[in-house]
Amino acid sequence: MSEMVKTDYSRRQFIAGMGGLGIGAILTGAIGGTLLRPDRAMAIPASKGYIVVDTKKCSGCYSCELMCSLVHEGKENLNLSRIQVINDSFAGFPNDLMQFQCRQCPSPACVQACPTGAMHVDTENGNIRTVDASKCIGCERCINACPFTPSRVQWNNEAKHAQKCDLCQVTPFWSEKGGFEGKQACVEVCPNKAVALTHTIPSQTGDGGYQLNMRTEKGWAKLGFPIDDAGLVIGDNSLPMTKGAEPSHPAGKTGYFTKP
Amino acid sequence: MKRRGLIVGVAVGAVAVALAFAVKAASVDGAQLLFNSGAWAILLAPFVGVFAGALTKRVDPHVEGQKVLRHDGAAILEHWTHGLGTAALLVTGILLGFLFVPRQAFGPATAALITNLHFAAVIFFLFGTFYWATNTLLATKRFKEHLPTKNAIPYTVRHYGLLLGSKKYTMPPEEKYFESERMAFILAVLATGLVVITGFVKVAAHAWNVPGAIVGAATFTHDVSTILMLAFFLAHVFFAAVLPMSWPMLRSMFTGTVSLEHAKAEHAGWLATIRKADQETPVPAVVSTVKGA
Repeated sequence: MSEMVKTDYSRRQFIAGMGGLGIGAILTGAIGGTLLRPDRAMAIPASKGYIVVDTKKCSGCYSCELMCSLVHEGKENLNLSRIQVINDSFAGFPNDLMQFQCRQCPSPACVQACPTGAMHVDTENGNIRTVDASKCIGCERCINACPFTPSRVQWNNEAKHAQKCDLCQVTPFWSEKGGFEGKQACVEVCPNKAVALTHTIPSQTGDGGYQLNMRTEKGWAKLGFPIDDAGLVIGDNSLPMTKGAEPSHPAGKTGYFTKP
Repeated sequence: MKRRGLIVGVAVGAVAVALAFAVKAASVDGAQLLFNSGAWAILLAPFVGVFAGALTKRVDPHVEGQKVLRHDGAAILEHWTHGLGTAALLVTGILLGFLFVPRQAFGPATAALITNLHFAAVIFFLFGTFYWATNTLLATKRFKEHLPTKNAIPYTVRHYGLLLGSKKYTMPPEEKYFESERMAFILAVLATGLVVITGFVKVAAHAWNVPGAIVGAATFTHDVSTILMLAFFLAHVFFAAVLPMSWPMLRSMFTGTVSLEHAKAEHAGWLATIRKADQETPVPAVVSTVKGA
């Protein structure tokens, strides 16, 4: 029969050695990593889709918010919407109704602030900046990090995690294909076509790049509304007048159109 | 005694430093999360516990005049680091919200502060747990005396029946731990094991890209383990600190000793075992020490 091999160290010494080895390895890694590792530059690929809006076409019906909540959460709740419409009765047109949507920033502060990787760039789906709810610990750093007001990241008070626009990539309550190559609930439902998807990165100066003029002569002007940002120019394709009635002002010249 | 005072001083200082660091990190601009920047400390704590455990020379219970040594210095250290760490983890964990319990930490600053305090508690909890585990590994008899016997349930019924005034029960001489305590020990080990394993998965997600399904499962299990731990903790505090009959035991968790009279009355079987061992082995003259502490 084989003999027991005698060692020069005891079990206690072996465990002490393992403990000491572990301490040394971790301290070396932590200190070495801090001292030797150069600052890591994180290259984040640009999103392949962006939601743009025309706040001057928005009528404040909140359909986009309700549909956003519905397709993502299965219920119509303005508090659960990723896109936000804010009504300020005192601001006066065109600032009385504003739409605020995630900008899918080229350098997303929310992604960089997330300590767990929950807020991440989905490289398999058009580099959309989105939340993996299962990793979210609820620290709300992403909400705080978003440089825009209101924050384009919201706290989902029912599911207890951060949420933001994912271009409808994950919509458990909608059978349509979403994401940067598919449909977006807010775009589809908006009765005024005030929300749209673009694959071209908007201008990053201010909010202008994300607030476009989507008023067309064949569509918007036919309803009798001005198509320029100042609200002065009425398109040539304005609604046909009642026979004999005269517009209160010449088309394309001045003021808002008043129907006879 | 001087050495024990030094260890207590170091432990209290470590707690103060940890708390101050957690608060400071959370109060700076952009609130630093220690789980993110100091994840390495979570890995370090178990190794420090193992190392300290391997260097610790335990002292077995023995009679010292009119007192009986019940807890040596190592037992006191592992109990309070693990116990206070658990208490802090439960409070901060519950404040952060889990399962059906709504979150009480409102706003990023408060959430960061409580998360950092959770981090500090993890350090002490892991040290205490691994210090105990190493001590147990090196002296398995200490583990066996915690395990329930086949008489666990009938003896527990008798024990509490007597406490409630029933005279129809008689008890055999009690060992160091009552059967009810031994059964609770199983729950404590189970809850601690689950909390540690799932906690490591959650910490790993701060450093690596752990799949969401694994993190989600770990989070759920961590939360369920919290309930197990809370159940054990509340029962333990009630039976070991609130009930007047337990006060001599609570005192011994600070002084290390119980009176000989108490040992005779409550743990006759344990006292007999100690006396038998004392006759066979000379009693060491010093309390347990942690070399280099």
